[in-house]
Amino acid sequence: MAQAEADTAAGTRLRPADAALHHEVGLFLYHEAAVLDAHEYDEWLALFTPDIDYRMPTRYNRLAREQGQATASEGDLAHFEDDLAGLRERVDRIRSGFAWAEAPPSRTRHLVTNVRVWHGTDDSLEVESHFLLYRTRIEVDVEVLAGARHDTLVPGGPHGWLIRRRYILLDQTTTVNLSVML
Amino acid sequence: MAPREALSTVLDGELVGHDGLVDRRVLCDEDLYRRELESVFERSWLFLAHESQIPNAGDFFATTMADDPVLVVRQKDGSVAAMLNSCRHRGMRVCRADVGNAKAFTCTFHGWTYDASGQLVNVPKYDEGYHGELDKSKWGLVRVPRVESYKGLIFGTWDEDAPTFVDYLGEEMCWYLDSLVDRREGGTEVIGGVHRWVIDCNWKLGAEGFIGDMYHSEMTHASVGLGALPDKGWQYGAPRGHGTGFFIDGLEYWNGAYGDEVVRYYEEIAPEITNRLGAAAADLVSACAHGGVFPNFAYLTGAAMTIRVWQPRGVDRMEVFSWVLVDRAAPPEIKEASRRGMTRAFSASGTLEQDDGENWSEIQRVMRGSVARKHPINYQMGFGHERDDVPGLPGTVGYVNGDLPGRGFYRYWAELMRQGPLKRANGDGSG
Repeated sequence: MAQAEADTAAGTRLRPADAALHHEVGLFLYHEAAVLDAHEYDEWLALFTPDIDYRMPTRYNRLAREQGQATASEGDLAHFEDDLAGLRERVDRIRSGFAWAEAPPSRTRHLVTNVRVWHGTDDSLEVESHFLLYRTRIEVDVEVLAGARHDTLVPGGPHGWLIRRRYILLDQTTTVNLSVML
Repeated sequence: MAPREALSTVLDGELVGHDGLVDRRVLCDEDLYRRELESVFERSWLFLAHESQIPNAGDFFATTMADDPVLVVRQKDGSVAAMLNSCRHRGMRVCRADVGNAKAFTCTFHGWTYDASGQLVNVPKYDEGYHGELDKSKWGLVRVPRVESYKGLIFGTWDEDAPTFVDYLGEEMCWYLDSLVDRREGGTEVIGGVHRWVIDCNWKLGAEGFIGDMYHSEMTHASVGLGALPDKGWQYGAPRGHGTGFFIDGLEYWNGAYGDEVVRYYEEIAPEITNRLGAAAADLVSACAHGGVFPNFAYLTGAAMTIRVWQPRGVDRMEVFSWVLVDRAAPPEIKEASRRGMTRAFSASGTLEQDDGENWSEIQRVMRGSVARKHPINYQMGFGHERDDVPGLPGTVGYVNGDLPGRGFYRYWAELMRQGPLKRANGDGSG
């Protein structure tokens, strides 16, 4: 699948991280999941570099010979395409008390798994992870969003790493209300 | 006394009263939903695609007309054909891609193959199995009999006797819609891709909202700090249920939302809009306008544009198909600002969009209750204060915060429901 995986692996022969670094990055991703599930959004924003490029393209069912176009290119429509100011605007909105889609808030579990880590150029890391976001709201409403994330991490911040680029490949083509972060 | 069946009540003209009250069963009654698929959707002009989505021969876009799957295909001669995406043999979808380019559509069940115009061109085992007796010319895909393009917007209807699309809009609504699609030389195009998401509510909540409800904006969208919106503006309701509403003199207001370059762009194109459509249109476009074509096409025009369809998926669910629209002649940086701005505000993740969906789905949830269903909802705002003397504005208009278009939407819906389904021979349909 994965355009995100291809970005990392195809032809680039990146060096995999050792067990200690793999463990460290795993803990970093679990920390991020925990602050999102706890709605600690200042903590979450602090995990990004000031030039964060955060995006989640739209996806399509395509003919077999057109599978290369099943994920929207840059310049086409995305579900998310935010810089740090954009992410901050989303967070401010949720905390305004008037964001009805999150008031009362979703109860979420960001499950992060299948983590793979490579050394990138310089001192950056290229990280693949798969996620399953369980969300319940109001009564018995349940939604599940699944997909892959490709993160570029650079050293910095209180947790050792900062996210400089996040490319999210959601598995759904038709979605629900995306009032939560991935 | 037991309440009367919703269907007989609507047929008697009581579900949508002239007192501005609407019986909530129009939003939640299964019998009414099944009837409206035929009486409303089969008889109306429905949006199919934008011309710019399918520029080349063989380009197709798979959509639905209400809940019927339909393929919209660019033909070799440059025209557009639309056909039911269902094999005539056993009913399988002949194309399961959302978008693409194809010379032919082959059913994955037994292999019946149709060309881009829907003609049946190959039947496996034709000689041995059918003994050459199947008349292939009669078993093409069911064509949408009427397809028309209005300034880039492609609409289709199942009603062979429907008025032309322009007559269906009416002269007045044409002018308002032109503020979206004909404000600049060259018309419009869509950014690549479609936002699609589901909302658990009846399709009419979205449709009527975009046709007639500016009033919700300050409260529903309070989270993005809209503050007090401009206080001047109008709304218009067409006889066939279309409608729009807009602020005037609002360009300054939108400065913060879309940025200086977008504001400058609208200042620059104001003379061109005035030249094409009149000064009132330039005023309208300078702010923010909502609008819709009955039954389920909607748009926003002004500082950024979207077009969309509320696809019914049962009485209590709809699927939104939403595009970002730009002036073809706009410079690349304005198109890019529109793309990003509309994605941020009006998509499944949109900071304004999310809260519309939340309100609509909660309205639907409440109607599970038998008591709630018995109490009508209120469309009385501005009742009796309509006027037809506003300079530059065609038709009967009212103050921007009102229910004039909403009342018209439900009146026309009720009229179609009373008239009932199309009367037509159920032929082979292959044309």
